[in-house]
Amino acid sequence: MKNKKRLRLAILASVAIVVVFEAVAIIVAWPRGDSGLPIGFEPGDQKALAKLEAETSSVRKKIAALGPKGVHIVIDSARNQLTLKSGKDTLLQAVVSCGSGSVLEEPGGKRTWIFDTPRGEFQVKSKIVDPTWIKPDWAFIEEGKEIPKNREERYEPGVLGDYALGFGDGYFIHGTLYTRLLGRSVTHGCVRVGDKDLKAIYQAAAIGTRIYIY
Amino acid sequence: MRQSGRLLKWAVVCFIGIFLPARGLDQRAPLENRLAKEELLLAKTPSLYFVLFTKSKVLALKSRGMILQEWKVKSVKAWGDGAPLSPLTLEKKSTLFPPKRTKIQPARNEEETGEFELEALELKDMPSRFSLFMSQLIRVYVHPQAKGFFPRLGNFGHLLAWNFWVPVQNLIFQMRKRDFGALDIKLEKKDDCQSVYWALFDGIQGLIFPL
Repeated sequence: MKNKKRLRLAILASVAIVVVFEAVAIIVAWPRGDSGLPIGFEPGDQKALAKLEAETSSVRKKIAALGPKGVHIVIDSARNQLTLKSGKDTLLQAVVSCGSGSVLEEPGGKRTWIFDTPRGEFQVKSKIVDPTWIKPDWAFIEEGKEIPKNREERYEPGVLGDYALGFGDGYFIHGTLYTRLLGRSVTHGCVRVGDKDLKAIYQAAAIGTRIYIY
Repeated sequence: MRQSGRLLKWAVVCFIGIFLPARGLDQRAPLENRLAKEELLLAKTPSLYFVLFTKSKVLALKSRGMILQEWKVKSVKAWGDGAPLSPLTLEKKSTLFPPKRTKIQPARNEEETGEFELEALELKDMPSRFSLFMSQLIRVYVHPQAKGFFPRLGNFGHLLAWNFWVPVQNLIFQMRKRDFGALDIKLEKKDDCQSVYWALFDGIQGLIFPL
């Protein structure tokens, strides 16, 4: 009987401690007000407010000036969609294929490749008609073949479509033989586009055209 | 007596009508100024960045000041210190079942096996409930609005963790004299959460502003 009472008391005491501890935690964690406001600004001071707003507007203009002016390309790698834009106008929307996100390890574990399409801002660095694919090492490893010593053995014409636009580090916007896979994430990082859309993109985008990939 | 009551009423109306909106504007202007200055620093780089507006409930993915994608946030809750008004870096994404990358088996391509199996990491494979571990000990919990039994059950678990565990976690950090802030953002659709998981990659920088 006494033991039961003690047990009950112990449970009650534990619950009370937990409740108090939780209450303290909630009080301490209660969201605090906004911090870090610029020093020297007095609310209600209309002159200071006008000055601040003018400064904000000037900084906003500087940000706007950093954005693309003319034709630019926006690629949504999650939805495999490419949009060719001029200012705020959309010139073309195309279904594309972006990186598969797969991983390839070289037997022996020396090198590893992750086939993601890179994200960020890029520029069209090269424009090629009738491109020939110069197969990189990973292509041979993936096929289980030996890496050739002769450069000519790496050449594979006719697989990249009619045009290719390079945007650095071996990444290209190019055509594809596998048009049925457009809309799926299947590439090794490049952006595959259907023939008709590729021609329009090639014609509209000059060297230096900005590419935004997210 | 009646007249003084009326006068008091007018005084209250005038106070609300004139004084309070001015105060609201005053608070907003410095924040907008600070946001513009911080965003300019991020927009100068070729990297993508995000901006979370906690009051207007919008999450935007941007590059060079241009909005690439925007998500409407259904609700925002917070515990602890407000997020600092300076760029934060996404250090880690954490989720119960993280998406797994497929390992390519050399020479096991479609030509050899005679069948084609798509080995891709796509949007549908992304989780819809996850936490973003930001720099300066800021945690952002992302989850969709629950529809159906199991999502509601999941949300109940999250609700318990949010209301009991996160304050305790905050207390522990406070005792160690370290700042801690947690945000809980609920998005309308599961797809939105999945695309946020996709868009916010490790190392991306961003701003969280009470605007």
